[in-house]
Amino acid sequence: MSPTPRLASRDAPVIHFDNVTKVYTNQNRPALDHVSVDVDKGEFVFLVGPSGSGKSTFLRLVLKEERPNSGAIHVAGKDLARLSNFKVPHLRRRIGCVFQDFRLLPNKNVYENVAFALEVIGKPRRFIRKVVPEVIELVGLEGKAHRMPDELSGGEQQRVAMARAFVNRPMILLADEPTGNIDPATSIGIMKVLDRINRTGTTVLMATHDAAIVDSMRKRVVELEDGKIVRDQSRGVYGQAY
Amino acid sequence: MRANFIFSEVWIGLRRNLTMTIAVVVTVAVGMALLGIGLMINSQVGRLSSYWNDQVEVNVYLCKAKDDPFPKCRDHPALSDEQKAALKGEIQGMQQVESVTFVDASQAYKIFIAGTADTVLKSAVKVGDLPESFQIKLRDPNNYATTVQTLESTAGVSNVINQKDLVDKTFGFLGKLQWSALVIALTMVFAAALLIGNTVRLSAYNRRRETGIMRLVGASNLYIQLPFIMEGTIAGLIGGVFAAVLLICSKIIIFDGLGGLMSVQLSWNAVSGVITLTMIVGVLICILASFITLRRYLRV
Repeated sequence: MSPTPRLASRDAPVIHFDNVTKVYTNQNRPALDHVSVDVDKGEFVFLVGPSGSGKSTFLRLVLKEERPNSGAIHVAGKDLARLSNFKVPHLRRRIGCVFQDFRLLPNKNVYENVAFALEVIGKPRRFIRKVVPEVIELVGLEGKAHRMPDELSGGEQQRVAMARAFVNRPMILLADEPTGNIDPATSIGIMKVLDRINRTGTTVLMATHDAAIVDSMRKRVVELEDGKIVRDQSRGVYGQAY
Repeated sequence: MRANFIFSEVWIGLRRNLTMTIAVVVTVAVGMALLGIGLMINSQVGRLSSYWNDQVEVNVYLCKAKDDPFPKCRDHPALSDEQKAALKGEIQGMQQVESVTFVDASQAYKIFIAGTADTVLKSAVKVGDLPESFQIKLRDPNNYATTVQTLESTAGVSNVINQKDLVDKTFGFLGKLQWSALVIALTMVFAAALLIGNTVRLSAYNRRRETGIMRLVGASNLYIQLPFIMEGTIAGLIGGVFAAVLLICSKIIIFDGLGGLMSVQLSWNAVSGVITLTMIVGVLICILASFITLRRYLRV
């Protein structure tokens, strides 16, 4: 894996935050305070920091689930301030999401959960039949396509969630504490899948508390504290303070 | 693919919310049936009034030769045949009058006997007890005031009865019936709209997990909202079908029965028009109610 792709890249950044401030209503302290950061195509970035430091706000801003109070955000070449509401779904099709709580549909099996992401954006059935098994294999769940979520371990459920996030080949994959509910041994497997996804050229942005994982991966680390970026280090570690 | 997916979602939603769906269907059915009945009364009244306006006459009763109870006749003796002929000519000359016929005492007696079932009354009344009259047909039955006034003040006339006054009383009753049906219908439609809103809201809450994922993977607003709107629409449509059945029953049982008495039939054409209209109104209300609710509870 090339260590510092952001120096080598000539393309425009996939995620560009320019002096972004976000203050939630009824709160005095900004969740993000004049944050400027660029993430290039194909990068793997850890977003670290204590709870309430602004990691989730950062991810929500990328998805345009929230709007910044000031500053400009560009995602996948689009200025989010100028992106009309009805085009937001098209932005989200280029962004995959994985969460701590998996968010699978309990009444659908593995295959159906992954296929659901394609069905609801109107992909033809033939296409779905072709790509869903491929991506189930990519996350290491071959042979378990017809299991229900409650028949799977936490790690396996998170693999389903990753398959669903990746099945439409997004440009960016956002992962919000994907190993938060999973034991350390299983987390390694999850990180391997994320690395595999990253190697296909997908930019991965992962918010995490897990120092061991950050230290073992040796990727770029952006550290937030009280809504400010206090460290941006390529090939970083989690840091001594935590 | 798309249609398949949406219909399966709709089916799941309707099944999960069965009690609410039934409530919507019943409210829509009753509301639309009442609206339809109001409209049917309206069309019935329209047809009846044009029919009766062709039939109604103004009856001008003349003073009898003796013992006429009307006070006006105390000072005026009965008209002679020449005076009657002159009065007839005068009436015919009036602007509003289309035609006039004279009914003499024996004709009046025949009409009375033919129209009365009471045998005691029949035997008690003799020829000559009933006054002679002129039966006047007006050009425009709604425009009678001047004619009636002139005739009432004419010497030798005991009493003027405008049949339209009698008919209008019936129409007044029908009109009230029609308005109450419409008011109840509007209330029901309002209740139906609120119920549909609530059903859709419950449905959206039940499926917040699905819709959350749909939002996340970039499903379009239409794709997310359509199953919910379809749910409301289908419930409304089923309600509309029940309303149609109720309307057809009411046409057969009530309107055809009444129509026989009033000598005007409500046509099936009018009924099908009313059914189409109520269906459209019902479905539109369902779509609107679902749409407005979704805007509040399914923000994208």
